[in-house]
Amino acid sequence: MSRPDNPRFGVLRTATFRLTLAFVAAIIGGMILQIVLLFVQMTHFESARSSAILHREADILVQETPQHLEYQVRERATNDLRVVINWVGLFDGHYHHIAGDLKTWPEGLRVDGKVHRLTLSPGDDLPYEMRFLAVRVRGGRILVLAHSLHLLSELQYMIRRGALLSVFPIVVFALLTGVVLSHRALARVKTMHEAIDRIMQGDVHERLPAARERDELERLAGSVNRMLDRLEHLMDEVRDVGNDIAHDLRTPLSRVRARLERATSSPHDADHLNAVIERATQDLDQCFSVITALLRIGEIENGRRRAGFALVDLTDLVADIVDLYEPIAETNGLVLENAMPIDGPLVVFGDRDLLIEVLANLLDNAMKFTPQGGRVTVSAESGPGAIHLRVCDTGIGIPDAERDAVLGRFYRSDKSRHVPGSGLGLSLVMAILRLHAAELAILTGPGEGDLPGCCFDMRFAFPVGAETARIEGYGT
Amino acid sequence: MTTDTGFSSASSETPTRARLLFVEDDDTLAREVVEELTARGFSVSHASNGQAGLEAAIRESYDLMVLDRMLPLLDGLSVIETLRSQNVQAPVLVLSALSAVDDRVTGLKAGGDDYLTKPFAMDELVARIEALLRRPNDTRATTLRVGPLSMDLIDRTVTRDGREIELLPREFRLLEYLMRRPNQVLTRTMLLEDVWNYRFIPQTNLVDVHIGKLRRKVDATGETPLIQSIRGSGFMLRVQT
Repeated sequence: MSRPDNPRFGVLRTATFRLTLAFVAAIIGGMILQIVLLFVQMTHFESARSSAILHREADILVQETPQHLEYQVRERATNDLRVVINWVGLFDGHYHHIAGDLKTWPEGLRVDGKVHRLTLSPGDDLPYEMRFLAVRVRGGRILVLAHSLHLLSELQYMIRRGALLSVFPIVVFALLTGVVLSHRALARVKTMHEAIDRIMQGDVHERLPAARERDELERLAGSVNRMLDRLEHLMDEVRDVGNDIAHDLRTPLSRVRARLERATSSPHDADHLNAVIERATQDLDQCFSVITALLRIGEIENGRRRAGFALVDLTDLVADIVDLYEPIAETNGLVLENAMPIDGPLVVFGDRDLLIEVLANLLDNAMKFTPQGGRVTVSAESGPGAIHLRVCDTGIGIPDAERDAVLGRFYRSDKSRHVPGSGLGLSLVMAILRLHAAELAILTGPGEGDLPGCCFDMRFAFPVGAETARIEGYGT
Repeated sequence: MTTDTGFSSASSETPTRARLLFVEDDDTLAREVVEELTARGFSVSHASNGQAGLEAAIRESYDLMVLDRMLPLLDGLSVIETLRSQNVQAPVLVLSALSAVDDRVTGLKAGGDDYLTKPFAMDELVARIEALLRRPNDTRATTLRVGPLSMDLIDRTVTRDGREIELLPREFRLLEYLMRRPNQVLTRTMLLEDVWNYRFIPQTNLVDVHIGKLRRKVDATGETPLIQSIRGSGFMLRVQT
């Protein structure tokens, strides 16, 4: 019973920790996405702003006379306190410098009244980007205005740096939280593993810790506990059945043993010995009947054998079984009545032999518990959505409280324990009905007073295609 | 008694005795059954596996075979199928620890003539062997006559020495079955299976009650009882032949 998790990596191999890792990845991804979107937006905004400035300034300067413009350019180069235009330059038609602090014609700049983004590599400085606007002014000259985006770069640099600095503590904090949570989850799972180990070692009363079912793990544990309750209940039942059967077999076997033992020590009179042997054989037959019934129940329950299934007419079936049992009822001073309300075929899909066995067992049962003068009826009728087959008697009945138990697996009423037979008749009935997907209910019978009687009501589904079968006249 | 070939034969002094082949792999059970059947007047050979059983059945001509379903080397159903394909038509009684109706049906389909579930009572086995050896009276006759009894299958009337006996349909069916097998032990299970076509073991003495009712009508006071109970086995319609 070794667990696969290595204690050293236990915490790292939990669902919670894996969830934490995924969460950290999501945080980092989210931050990257946020910054990218922010930068795009900033660049767009700043570019638009700088273009507006360049155009506005150019529009003003274009109005000036050449002399005044040259003066203005010189002034701006030294005294422009607004720092709106970073560089300004006045060139002649051959791109030669006339005035301004922009001394050389920027390579690649076209004079088209549009803003161009160019990279300058002045001598010893690092290359940097500027936005240029070149316009023609009076006298064939060209005015060049330049605006730098250094403010944007600086802002972006700060944001990048800030983000990088904040990612580290966030990740560390998330991982730590993950480890702590995983550790707690692992501890809970460990207690569950221990509980399961104890159950596997045979402590069937042990349950998983599921205190108040406040989260999914505890709800799962609660479900497992309910399953264990059910299994334990079934195990108890099977054990009880085993005990009952062992007891039922031991009683006749011990009688056989006692008889044979006494026979060997008593005078060997042939008649006496014959009588002993005969009774011993009867007792053994009773043991066999219990074993046969058990095997048969097992066979019906496990086999799911529906090879013998065909359309069976309940009208025929009831007539046959009443015909078979009528003399017995008469002998017992009972009236056995075929109480079919209609005289026509009533078809279910089933195994005729097994259904006869069901009715025979129920009739055996009804006759055992119905005193002289009583009445036993067998009937079948078509009800809403189902076909009902009923065996009713005016016997001692079954108290409400006992009805569920009677229908349980292998229930044996104390009353029936001393009645001859395997005592497993009802269990056999249940097994056969389960095979037929029929439901069995116990209803209060038609009797009165001390003898309320009971009705065994079997609900069968309508057979598929029964109508056609009726018309074609299925095999009789 | 069993030799290396898995085959052994009990002595048969008189050639008129029915010759049976019993194929069964449980030697203890086989010895009991062989002794019992020999004591009851059959000449019995035993084979302890399917192969030996098949060879013996083809070599000798037996009147009847009792065959276990599950046998070493060759299972019972294959033995029957091979025998039937070789045109060996002796009746076969199949024995089996399996009680399922399906198994019974497959056993009979394979060519078996009757099917008996283990554990069985010796009387049951003997009664069934007898029944298979003595096939019922000609089924095409419209009148059955057994001793003082006469049954008209068309008019559905029964008389005993001229005295008319009123029977319910189910009693008529039962008496017909008895009259087709006079002087033959019929067990309760055989009656239930053949007359009513039921394959379950009732918890009550169903068959006895039915026989009792019939007997009261057939054997009136003062008349020689024809329907007799055979202690521990079943019933018999006994008549002078």
